Amino acid sequence: MFTTKVFIRKNKIGNFLKNIREHYLRDDLFCGFTSCNVCKPEDTALSSNIENKSGLFNYPHYLILDTNIILDQMDILEEDVICNVIILHTVLKEVKHRSLAIYKRLNAVIDNPNRHFFVFINDHHRECYVPQEDTELINDYNDRCIRTACLWYINHIPDAKFVFITDDARNRALAEEENITTCSIEQYVRSIKENNLLEDKLAKRDYHVESDTQDLFPAHLTVTQVQEGIKEGRLHQGTYRASTSNFLEGFVSVDGYEDAILVQGRSGQNRAIDGDLVAVEIFKEQDWIAPSEIILEDESRVDTAVEEVLLKENELKEYSTGKKKKEKAKPTGCVVGIIRRKWRPFCGILQQDAPEGALYHLFVPADKKFPKIRIETRQAEFLKTQKIVVVIDDWPRYSRYPAGHFVRALGKIGDQATENEVVLLEHDVPHSKFSEEVLSCLPKLPWIITEEDVAKRTDLRHLDICSVDPPGCTDIDDALHCREIEGGMLEVGVHIADVSHFIRPGSALDVEAASRATTVYLVDKRIDMVPALLSSNLCSLRGGEDRFAFSCVWEMDKNANILKTKFHKSIIRSRKAMTYEEAQLTIDDKSRNDSIAQSLRNLNNLAKILKQRRLEKGALVLASPEVKIRMDSETMDPIDVEVKKLFETNSMVEEFMLLANISTAEKTLKDFPDCAMLRRHPEPPKINYEPLVKAGKHLGFEIKTGSNKELAISMDNAVKEDNPYMNTMLRILATRCMMQAVYFASGMFQKEDYYHYGLAVPLYTHFTSPIRRYADIIVHRLLAVSIGADVTYPDLLDKHKTSDLCQNLNYRNRMAQLAGRASVAFNTHLFFRGKLQDEEAYILSVRKNALQILIPRYGLESTLYLSQKGKKSIFEYNEEDQTQKYEDVVFHAFDPVIVRLALDSNNIQREKLVLQLVFPVVKGFSIPPLNEEHKRKVETDQKKTKAKKSKKK
Amino acid sequence: MSLCEAEKTFILHGVEENFRIDGREREDYRPMEVEIGIISHAFGSARLRLANTDVLVAVKIEVDTPYPEKPSQGKLDFFVDCSANATPDFEGRGGEDLATGISNSLSDAYRSSKAFDLKKLCIMKGQKCWKLLVDILLLECGGNLYDAVSLAVKAALWNTRVPGVKSVGIDGKNVELNVSERLNDCVPLDVSGAPVMVTVCKIGEYCVVDPSAAEEKCSSAALVVAVSQGNITTVLQGSAGSLHPTTLMDSLGLGVEVANQLNIALMETLQSAPPHFDVGFLK
Amino acid sequence: MSRKELLSKIGLRADGRRAQELRRIRCKLGVFTEPDGSAYIEQGLTKVLAAVYGPHQVRGGRSKAQYDAAIVNCQFSMAVFSTGERKRRPRGDRKSTEMSIHLKQALMATIKTELYPWSQIDVYVEVLHADGGVYAACVNASTLALIDAGIPLKEYVCACTASLANNDIPMVDISYQEEVLGGPTLTVAALPMSEKIVLMEMTQRFHLDHLPKVLKEALRGCKDIKVILDEAVRNHLVNVGSSSGWVKNK
Repeated sequence: MFTTKVFIRKNKIGNFLKNIREHYLRDDLFCGFTSCNVCKPEDTALSSNIENKSGLFNYPHYLILDTNIILDQMDILEEDVICNVIILHTVLKEVKHRSLAIYKRLNAVIDNPNRHFFVFINDHHRECYVPQEDTELINDYNDRCIRTACLWYINHIPDAKFVFITDDARNRALAEEENITTCSIEQYVRSIKENNLLEDKLAKRDYHVESDTQDLFPAHLTVTQVQEGIKEGRLHQGTYRASTSNFLEGFVSVDGYEDAILVQGRSGQNRAIDGDLVAVEIFKEQDWIAPSEIILEDESRVDTAVEEVLLKENELKEYSTGKKKKEKAKPTGCVVGIIRRKWRPFCGILQQDAPEGALYHLFVPADKKFPKIRIETRQAEFLKTQKIVVVIDDWPRYSRYPAGHFVRALGKIGDQATENEVVLLEHDVPHSKFSEEVLSCLPKLPWIITEEDVAKRTDLRHLDICSVDPPGCTDIDDALHCREIEGGMLEVGVHIADVSHFIRPGSALDVEAASRATTVYLVDKRIDMVPALLSSNLCSLRGGEDRFAFSCVWEMDKNANILKTKFHKSIIRSRKAMTYEEAQLTIDDKSRNDSIAQSLRNLNNLAKILKQRRLEKGALVLASPEVKIRMDSETMDPIDVEVKKLFETNSMVEEFMLLANISTAEKTLKDFPDCAMLRRHPEPPKINYEPLVKAGKHLGFEIKTGSNKELAISMDNAVKEDNPYMNTMLRILATRCMMQAVYFASGMFQKEDYYHYGLAVPLYTHFTSPIRRYADIIVHRLLAVSIGADVTYPDLLDKHKTSDLCQNLNYRNRMAQLAGRASVAFNTHLFFRGKLQDEEAYILSVRKNALQILIPRYGLESTLYLSQKGKKSIFEYNEEDQTQKYEDVVFHAFDPVIVRLALDSNNIQREKLVLQLVFPVVKGFSIPPLNEEHKRKVETDQKKTKAKKSKKK
Repeated sequence: MSLCEAEKTFILHGVEENFRIDGREREDYRPMEVEIGIISHAFGSARLRLANTDVLVAVKIEVDTPYPEKPSQGKLDFFVDCSANATPDFEGRGGEDLATGISNSLSDAYRSSKAFDLKKLCIMKGQKCWKLLVDILLLECGGNLYDAVSLAVKAALWNTRVPGVKSVGIDGKNVELNVSERLNDCVPLDVSGAPVMVTVCKIGEYCVVDPSAAEEKCSSAALVVAVSQGNITTVLQGSAGSLHPTTLMDSLGLGVEVANQLNIALMETLQSAPPHFDVGFLK
Repeated sequence: MSRKELLSKIGLRADGRRAQELRRIRCKLGVFTEPDGSAYIEQGLTKVLAAVYGPHQVRGGRSKAQYDAAIVNCQFSMAVFSTGERKRRPRGDRKSTEMSIHLKQALMATIKTELYPWSQIDVYVEVLHADGGVYAACVNASTLALIDAGIPLKEYVCACTASLANNDIPMVDISYQEEVLGGPTLTVAALPMSEKIVLMEMTQRFHLDHLPKVLKEALRGCKDIKVILDEAVRNHLVNVGSSSGWVKNK
């Protein structure tokens, strides 16, 4: 029962407390060899028949790895070639301590039974334990522990051979002294006979350079220097953000400075990469410079990297200094140390211009914020056609670019599938196929409703329920009904797919769904949160089929006042799955008087009242340009981009969903004051509104931002007869001022903070889309407990667990949103490939060297540059009024214009839309229109201006 | 403990004959055991058992600000707790009077800078200093508490290791200390001058040292002498009763002499003590 | 995964124990001469001294005395140096008072108080090092001290803590490090031979689903402790007996 043999204590002084930990040594730990007759065998073990893959040794062997190998070479370890590895607990602990991400990856490998990775708990093993010596440093001690374990294995299993791999030369030397067979990972990988390309994946942390190379970057301060500097206030800590337009500029936002600190040039950025937590030193005020506001792109090649950067730096310097710039100088500084790297795998392509047969190549990440990465590969010709994934290993001082290594290829550049993969990877969307374990949680087909089910649920199959969704929707998670009941009252029901019936807490399916958090919609692809059997079949409330639902039923009067709210699990049969358009036609078709039509009409009327009431309370009507891309069903090429059409029925469904969500929020919070999952939308800080207020002022409207109600009213009043789209644009701007709405556990916030600003309701949650949002599943479970239809489980009632879950949900939601947008953007580009088109557009905002243009028809926002590369702008910029002027043409914000759209395909990775001005006509800048209609417009305009001019004369 | 008259007379006669009830002579001590490092999470500790008297001392260390009037000195605090394990009389607040008495006498005895140099505990003048918290737990009372406590405290201080200060950062008025995490970098204290207290008990016409609990009951007067390196740092007349000046001087002389011997014996024991082995109360 | 896991994937806790293993227990009876009974126990690093006085006349007002049973008087006290941060007072705070009451509750369940009407039994515990499971160690030490004092008991009363690792696996005898890191801790004092629970306390909410298995684990812990205590008592008796010639030397 109790196998403690020796007992020692570890002492540690920290915070002036002497801490003591027990440390038990055991002799019942398994060594991993099934052939061993001393140790008690366990389930997982090393494989007994191993083959030698390395040319370095002429006998089969087991590997023992040092910590540095795991930390640096995880990509190699993830390859199937490497197996039969002993991971010592000392190493595992150190890996966990140093990098949680690597630790997780390592665990995934250990869990794979085919790989035969075995964890040996050497530090609690009676014979492998060595006490730390008084003067010994922790690293030396760990090395000694590892070597002791190696020796133990050699003696314990005399028949087997062991190879200890480490990149630490000192440790290797010491190991050799002790007669342990050892080599470096590079030696080992190169010697593997069958797999030559594995070498590409070696992390280059320590590669040799000629001694005459100069250091290109200043050295980073050490950790202690940084800590001291921050403590003394000399240095500041902040997250580095790279500029998207200028590769030699970046910003670090630090506490105590309103503006982010500008860092410029090689020495200023000093190897910081977007997202890194860095320490900056802020210059004296006289050395501050203004952001250059010019666009610089890194056009260098492997061999010209240094000259190129020097050239560009000089160019930048010219822009940033000078008299006028002084006034707009921003706090400036330089990065002196990196506190935490935020390196992740990057998607991108190889730079195409490298000479054939070269070993070193530059990798260009898809996201412009990140620098190019130098990698070593022997398969460049193939990789040049591919989108690939690369990770950074190191960025030494002498290297212009970080050094990295190739991880894997995603597919051919430009393919839909490849691009989708890139979008998903870059946004961290889990999109692998559902595992067998997950699929085994699904109900077996044919799925039938049992007597038991019927007994537990309210049978609502007699009601005329129907669903209203966008066309082509297969995951229908809500349906509605409305009928008159006695006393002239209306009974309104919202029926939501009962997903929580199928997804039981704690099952593999549940864990997977919680991790995915949301269904991600790309233009031509949907990444389901739950397997298709549920999302498109058993949970989807399809027309004419019996389905389980979670119903929220209200009794209302004709003025939409709720008299009674009832929740129950039910069985429904939707009469029809309609589209918004169909539903609208049904309502409008006076000849139809069946129960569905009446029910829809009633719902529509109630919805109007509800909406009105909501707006009166101060709910905001916001706008964002949303487009739908029509795809050719065969070639899957986008054939048209259109703005999503909105019907009254859209708003009708929305109102009832809101109402159901609010009712649910109230109910769950009442019963679970501590662990209800709610959704809050904080009021944005006043400063967020600045662009909106400014834009309003230029148009002669006062936008009040005191409360959401004031904002709503002032936006409603900002209407111009001659420019109906202006109000929409104002709302688009307002949307951008808003904060993100987030999920939270009620126990983690004060009641006042529960408020949903945009909807102007004190409580809100998500209940109505459990097929595609995990939050709704939790809410369903809570509600089910509330009404006694289900039982709780521990995690549901743990507010910390709920809060952790919320964080994941919020993160995944944001990423899903961005991924969706990225996908639309890519497909829009695809649509414009080889097309030239003139479109009506509006100026969203006026910039120093450009106009930000919104094209409503495509929901597209793009930049119209006012000056060509290297030339001076002919326009005069008025910062006060936010206008650009040339002769008598003045551009204000929100002015209508006509622009020409074309796709610039020079850079295959970053195709971009290029705008050219068509109207109003500016001599030497605008271009003649393409079609007749626009030509006429231009001509009449010219006549007008001529007339004006002649009048003046 | 209550004694009847006959018992008292027996003790008295024994002292007169220089053959005390437990067989000792007047200037003999009972056997003593000292063990150091017994409280592993304290910076220093000692347990001293003098026959039935059992004292446990632990030293904790905190960072503090020096007193404004003594900016370059650290702090040394004594706290005595009389455990009810010793006698039910100590239950609740029962032992507080005795505890205060002992801790006051310790503070007095350690006040002299020759006895214990507080300057060594100063980290930064006027800003930061170490504060040694010496906590004394009386577990069993078998007489001669003062001697036992003073010896245990000395042993605990001898065992104490002060964390090694790596660096001191100053940022305006805030002082930040960085302390080495490793136990090996800790510094021992200089306790050569730490006072040893000796209780001299007058029983009948003679003075005895190390009175047992029964002997204390028979004593007409008692004198506690704290001696640091041959010098008296404090004298405390305990219990009711009076002393003739000549007896007083004789007693003081005896006290100093015994204290010196005790001190030598203690230091020898400590220096030859084996590195801590894990026994404690299990012996 | 913000919180540290209490049980690693390989099934070992931070200190190298498995989930169902107790910490090392070492104990000794009769450490002091003055009290009628005394005992010292170490459970891992938690160290407790207990002393028993009595049965004796009721101290203080006789009004407290009971005609049909002895009164049991408990005092819990912690040395100021027993915790990582120094405590300001050894006793008299709320926590100590509560501990005293709980201790009394557990001991009352086993002492045959009806044998000593008009008398009092004092049990004093002194914690020297608190490293998790303080109450449990106090109960166990008190039991030993009562046995040392020769006070008739119905049976051993043992206490043990248990918690839940990774929200799934019950684990026994929680150290301070685990207390701080982990979730709820359940303390159970029980009469292990008759499997009666005399006191149960939880630090946080347990979900009902978990309670049975955690409770079962704690009870198993109590039984294991009983075996260890029993052995210590027997050894003690042999030692005491042999020194007085009571037990025949082999």
